[in-house]
Amino acid sequence: MKCRVCKGAAVIDVRRHNANFCAEHFIAHCHEQVRRTIDHFSMMQPDDRVLVAVSGGKDSLALWDILLSLGYRADGLYLGLGIGDYSTESTHYSRDFADRVKGRLVEIDLLADEGFDIPTGARLARRAPCSACGLSKRHLFNRAALEGGYDVVCTGHNLDDEAAVLLGNVLRWNVEYLGRQHPVLDARPGFVRKVKPLVRLAEREMAAYCVLRGIDYQVEECPMAAGNRHIGYKEALDGIEAGSPGTKAAFFHEFLDKASHLFTPESDVVREGLLACASCGSPTTGEVCAFCRLVERATASSSNMSVPVQLGETRS
Amino acid sequence: MRVHALLDRLDINRESVIVIRGDTLVPGDVLLLDADVVEIRPVISGGCR
Repeated sequence: MKCRVCKGAAVIDVRRHNANFCAEHFIAHCHEQVRRTIDHFSMMQPDDRVLVAVSGGKDSLALWDILLSLGYRADGLYLGLGIGDYSTESTHYSRDFADRVKGRLVEIDLLADEGFDIPTGARLARRAPCSACGLSKRHLFNRAALEGGYDVVCTGHNLDDEAAVLLGNVLRWNVEYLGRQHPVLDARPGFVRKVKPLVRLAEREMAAYCVLRGIDYQVEECPMAAGNRHIGYKEALDGIEAGSPGTKAAFFHEFLDKASHLFTPESDVVREGLLACASCGSPTTGEVCAFCRLVERATASSSNMSVPVQLGETRS
Repeated sequence: MRVHALLDRLDINRESVIVIRGDTLVPGDVLLLDADVVEIRPVISGGCR
């Protein structure tokens, strides 16, 4: 295989682009894809203060690296979830990368700062762990960005993530979520702007980027996510992609171009009715926001002691 | 055996992994030698984020 750019020896093929790249030009390709995404969706300005949600995994570390390479003023934000050895390792990878790039890493610890960890809190609140985790991240990332004076929060959602979410929303015709699924969620009172600059890059490309850039990341899957529906959707889409390269990108990006706007009114109805949470002041549709209700349930019981994490199958 | 043939034999979807030899990637058309040691690293991550 020859690099599409320099005709030297290629190290990776990107079948949906019908292209192969050497290390140097693959890295340049990734930078260019992110630059184009930021420009196309008007995600941020060169002088914005940027907060990157960092998990220690390949996508978020690659995103932070790319944004720094493109010249953005990007800090990292790490949320300790209290998921046993998994969280210990993810903290290590996040801090190591921050040290390597001499970047500022803001840290929040769910147990120390909010009084619960994901395994225990999800059990006490009777929520699926991934649901409690996602809710906590959305709320705390937004709060940290507002308190820190950041203009925008960037998350490492890649093309595979977005295509899998879209598939799940379409299979259940969840029109409210379809209306909200966009690479940019604009700032509104109480909400900082939230963007996803990796939506043109596939999961495999982000893993390859990290290897080629020498970025150590947490390969092991979260033990609490093993076997969840989202991963099943990804595997199904990978099966289609293998036989028809480009399908995943077309599915998601054609949705944005041709169908996303059809669902926006459904989403706007919900947004227009927002009130201030009686507990924390965050915008919410009810009297108390979902995160404060989670905290209340997750910390209410006197039996709120950390529970051992049940390690499921990992992909090591 | 080439990398793609190895993945096919192991019934692994090439879209869901990267193959690493030493400290760099190995593309699908590379002929592996008997003495080669490669890592087949999964790339699918899940959960909330």
